[in-house]
Order: sequence, then C-alpha cells, then structure tokens
Amino acid sequence: MKAMNIDGIDKPENEKYVLSLKNISYKYEKTTKNVLKNVSADFETGKIYSVIGKSGSGKSTLLSLIAGLDVCTEGQILYRNEDLKILDRDEYRAKKIGVIFQAFNLLTNANAIENIVLSMQISGNETRDKTGCAYGLLQKMGIDKETASRKILKLSGGEQQRVGIARAVSNDPDIIIADEPTGNLDTETESDVLKILTSLAHESGKCVIIVTHSKKVSSIADCVLTMKDGGLAAGK
Amino acid sequence: MYILTNAIKNLTRNTGRNVLAAAVIFAVIAAAVAALIIYNTAGGVIADYKTRFGSQVVISVDIDKYVGSNPPRGGQSAMALPQVTAAQSISFADSNYIREYTMRVSKDVTGDDLKAIDEGSGGVFPMGGNTLGDFMLTNNFDDFESGMRYIKDGGPIMNSGECLISEEFADLNGLKTGDKIELFGSMSNAEDGTKRTATYSLTVAGIFYDFTDEYPGMRMPLSNKRNEILVSTETLTSSMLEGESGLAVSAVFYLKDPQMLADFEAEIRGKGLSDYMAVRTDEAGYNRIVAPVEGLMGFTLTFLIIILALGAAIIALLCSIAIRERKYEIGVLRAMGMKKKRVALGLWAELIMISCLCLCFGIAAGTLAAEPIGNTLLAEQTKAAQTPDVPRGPINLNNPRGTEADAIPPLEQLDIRVGTPVIMQIIGMTVCLVSFAGFVSIGKITKYEPIKILSERN
Ligand SMILES: Nc1ncnc2c1ncn2[C@@H]1O[C@H](COP(=O)(O)OP(=O)(O)OP(=O)(O)O)[C@@H](O)[C@H]1O
Ligand SMILES: [Mg+2]
Repeated sequence: MKAMNIDGIDKPENEKYVLSLKNISYKYEKTTKNVLKNVSADFETGKIYSVIGKSGSGKSTLLSLIAGLDVCTEGQILYRNEDLKILDRDEYRAKKIGVIFQAFNLLTNANAIENIVLSMQISGNETRDKTGCAYGLLQKMGIDKETASRKILKLSGGEQQRVGIARAVSNDPDIIIADEPTGNLDTETESDVLKILTSLAHESGKCVIIVTHSKKVSSIADCVLTMKDGGLAAGK
Repeated sequence: MYILTNAIKNLTRNTGRNVLAAAVIFAVIAAAVAALIIYNTAGGVIADYKTRFGSQVVISVDIDKYVGSNPPRGGQSAMALPQVTAAQSISFADSNYIREYTMRVSKDVTGDDLKAIDEGSGGVFPMGGNTLGDFMLTNNFDDFESGMRYIKDGGPIMNSGECLISEEFADLNGLKTGDKIELFGSMSNAEDGTKRTATYSLTVAGIFYDFTDEYPGMRMPLSNKRNEILVSTETLTSSMLEGESGLAVSAVFYLKDPQMLADFEAEIRGKGLSDYMAVRTDEAGYNRIVAPVEGLMGFTLTFLIIILALGAAIIALLCSIAIRERKYEIGVLRAMGMKKKRVALGLWAELIMISCLCLCFGIAAGTLAAEPIGNTLLAEQTKAAQTPDVPRGPINLNNPRGTEADAIPPLEQLDIRVGTPVIMQIIGMTVCLVSFAGFVSIGKITKYEPIKILSERN
C-alpha cells in the first residue's frame, strides 16, 4: 500500500484496495439470465489472486468487467475508490490495467513487435525506444527476434499467449488480469510465466488476478476465489 | 501521429481488400471527373455563346403585332411594312450600349445606257409607288472575303465614287476599268413624299470573277447577283439628303453586355423606332448552337448525379463490409484503450489515403476520357437537334440573308477545359463522399462497448 500513503496519512479502510467489487451483477445484452450475481470482492496490490470455477461460470465475464470492457448492470467496480462507470475507461484500459485474454485478442495482421509498440503508443508511454523495449519484453517471454517479427497469425497458440502477456505488462499497469494464461503452455514455459507473474506481484507490487483451471497456478496464489452460480467466494 | 503511421501500415497489411476498394473508388472518381469536366466545359461554351448571341441585337418586324393592328386589306402590299430607315440605323449605332455594329446598305438603281443581265425577264414591280431599278448598289463585300468573288482586272475601291462590277456585267456593256457609268436612284422626302432622283457617277475601279449563286432570289435583273455593283458605304449614304428615305439599310448591333438589351431598346424607341418593330437577340441562332450543348449538359448532370449516388451507395456498402470485417481489430484496439475518436480517425485516414491515390489516377483517367466521350455525346445531341425544319426567328426583311448566327456552324468539338476548380470540386466531392460513407459504418461499429465487439468475434 506504499503507493497510497504518499503524504504519510493513513488512508481509510476502503482505500486500502486497488480494486473493489461492490455487489456487481451482469447480464449480456439480449439475455435474461444474470451471469454474475451480487459479486463482491476486494483486491490489494502486491498479491496474486486466482479465480477458479467451472467452465461457463462467468470467470471471463468477470475479468471483462474488471478490465473495463463493459460496465456492470448493477453494483460498482471501484478502481482506487473511483467508480469505473464514471472513470474514463479508455484511459483506464490503456494505462492502469493489463489484460491477458483467453482468446489473446492480438492484432492478427501485425507482428508481435507492432502489437506491443501500438499498445505503448495508445497508452501514451513515453519510452523513446519502444521497439527495443518490446523486444526486451518478448525476450523475457522466450520469444526471439525472428518470431517477434512474424505476423501473429503465423504464431503458435503458446507464442501468441506469451505475446499477450508481454503486451499486458508493457505499460507498467497497476493491475494485471490473465484469463488462462498458461492454458496453451508446456510445463516448463508455464513455470517461467508463473515466475514472471509472481515477481510482478511480489516484487513490482502489482495486483495480479489469474483465472485458471490449473492446480499449479492456484498453488502459487496468495488468495483463491471460486466462481459458482454467478457468485464469488473465497477459498476453494 | 502514430494513428497515421498505423493507418499507413494497415494499408499494406490488407492489400487485397484495399485494392478492391481502390478500384471502386477509382472508377467512381474517373466517371465523375469525366462528367464534371464535360459539364463544366459545356457550361463554359454556353456562357460564351450567351455573351456572343445575347449581345447581337436583331431588329425586325413584329409580324403578329403588325397584322393584329393592321389587318390586311385588299390591295395593300406587304411592302408597306414598317422599316428601320437608314437615318435611324445610323442614329441607333450612335449609342453607349453598342460595342460594334455592321451596316449593310443597298439601293436599287437604273442606268440609261446600261444593259442588265436577264433584262426583260420578271417584269417591273411597283414598290411604294416607285419602280424597282435593274441594278443593286451594295456595300456588301462578304463574297470577296469568302472567296466567291475575286478581282480580275483593276483593284479594290480606294475612294468614294468608285465601284466594282462583275465580269459578265462588264462584258455585256463593254466596260473596262477606268470607265465611268451613271446610275439613278429614287429618293423620297420622308415628310411630304416628294420624289427626287439621286445620281451616282461611278468609276469602274475593278472587275471581278463571280462564282456566287446567280439567282439567290427571284429571276429578275435586280436580284441577279451579276448585276450587283459594289460601292463604299459613303458613296451610298452621301446620296441621301437629310429627311429623305430610299436606301435599304440593315444594321446589326452588338451590345457591350447582353443585359443592356432593355436599355438599348428604350433608347432606340426614343429615337423613333416603330412600335411594330421588335428588338431582340438572335434566339433561333442561339438555340441552334446551344441546344446540343445544353442537352449534353443536362445529360452529364444526370449522369453525374447517378454516378455520385450509385458511387456513394457502393462505397458505403464497401466501407461497411470492410469495417465489419475489421470488427475484431477495432475491438482489440478499443480493448487496448484506444479512444473511439482515434479508432475512427485511423480508419478514416486509411480511406482518405486510398482515395487520394485513386484521385490522382482517377483525375488523370477521367480527363483523358472526357474529350472523346464528350465529343461522342455532343455528336449525338447535335444530330438530335438538327431537325431539317429549324424554325426561324422573326422575319427579318432588312437582312434576308440571315444573321451572323447562321454563319456559325453548330459545335462539333468540345474544347475540354480542366481548371483548378474542377479538380477542387472532385477532391471535395471525393472527400465528402468517402468520409460520409466511412463515418456511417465507423460510427456504427465504435458505438458499442468493446466487450460486445470482441464477444461477437466468431
Ligand atoms: N456475448 C455473450 N452473450 C451472451 N452470453 C454470453 C456471452 N459470452 C458469454 N456468455 C455466457 O455467459 C456465461 C459465462 O461465460 P464466461 O465466458 O464468462 O465463462 P467462463 O467461466 O470464462 O468459462 P470458461 O472456463 O469456459 O472460459 C456462459 O454461460 C456463456 O454462455
Ligand atoms: Mg473463460
């Protein structure tokens, strides 16, 4: 919470969390059933959270709302105590949160470098050598220069996933959310990726939220949340 | 800035789709350019003719009005129609509204010792109590200009009192250059109608070959072209005293500006022009030349509207397909935090860049195509306008050989004009069209929250 205590005054309890869900409900357009019902949770910086649950239970939907891709039908999502409904969500997505999508959501006609550089440009990142920076990030994810210059369409699922991770962290966001980030990776690469995510939380003080089916991922989490029947509960 | 560089990159990333869009935009632009150029050129031609014909004043008998108030009675000859007298013509020409004028003066004369070709045929017609002479003195040298007459012996008229005669007339009377002839014409006092005989003592300055049609009118000495004796305007006008009539004068006046017609008419009515004379511009001649061009203009305007409407529809459709295809891309950009406005700007920049390329080629192609297409269309219109029985304008007794418009052939070739305005119009139209088409579909797609765009990906 060091970031919050700039002037040394203790913040009230509700400012302890970088992200708070307050009784949120959500239903997709033109549907009647609530995918999320009355979900409440709080997230702190410097911690890894894992969200588990059956397929179709609403995990990805929850992440989309946290990512600011839509607003909840009821309740509030607070980022540093500010309602996402009121916040400039474009700005929020560009700078405050990094998303690793289940379906990657990369620009398939561009290459890995271009994807990351564009993301940095959109967020107004002031790094001079954006291309060099992008190479560095990709290298950390085990992607070499040749692969990085190939169109996304011509990359394997695992490679795309790693490009997605590199993009998510490229703007140094407060929150990183990942939807099955290791689903397409072999155990060795999975370990590498988990190491990176752990260090982002524990060393760089990010709030990392991971949706996963993997026991291994859950085992490294500081807190495990379970999605069931549209609700979210702590523990397995 | 990155929006633009990204847009440029996108152009090369999606070549297939862009080439298709470019081809359509190119075709629309080329067709619109050709149509617009033809339209503007035709407009220019019309404006030009408007100034030319609109400024040529025709003064003629208003037959309807005249017959309406002077129903023909038995024995009254058509020759009693009102006329513009020589003195009037000369005074009309002295006007501030007149840029220039031409004046044809002629006088029928007799000669005691001279024989006329066709003498004795056709008989002698009474004209307002006078007898018509056998010879026509005229100041009309047009046939020399057109090459139908040229001097065989002697030279052109240098002084007042000199004349030119045809070879046939010279042979018939045994005349050669330097010979003197004497002719007589009847003048009458405009007030009391008293007659006077004017004498023309002329020296033959030259003899010409004459290849004109010998009988443009009736077969009688006076209308036989070989009996014409050409003299200077001054020779003719100086023979008439003030207050007399007797010369046939036809004047063509050219206004400084077609708008001055009403003022000019008021002025010459004040100078004594009869109420039975109509003052107008040469509408018939104008229509004959301008009708095909106007037809062409109307046709191209319709074509232009169709092309633009159809082009707009096709481009809009193409845009909406292209943008729907790029829905996922837009969703990704939005998910990455790009603002709607910027996404739209990027897409719009791509469209505009394609359009600019198309503009360069389209304008070139359209310009090249405009001339042959324009001329083909014009030929069609001219054919359609050339009905064998062209209705003539009001009867012009003073100028039976027609006005200048008759001498101007209908337009056969368009002199294509491509000016900066045309190019600006095209660029403006293209940008509007493409922007409109683009924004409709861009607006539709960016309206949604990114989750919707992304979730509809598959
Ligand atoms: N765009 C949509 N419109 C309507 N319903 C949707 C839409 N997207 C998802 N759903 C429904 O919402 C529910 C939750 O979906 P979600 O993708 O959040 O599940 P999940 O927990 O991420 O599943 P998985 O583990 O398979 O990824 C599912 O029943 C799904 O059918
Ligand atoms: Mg999911």
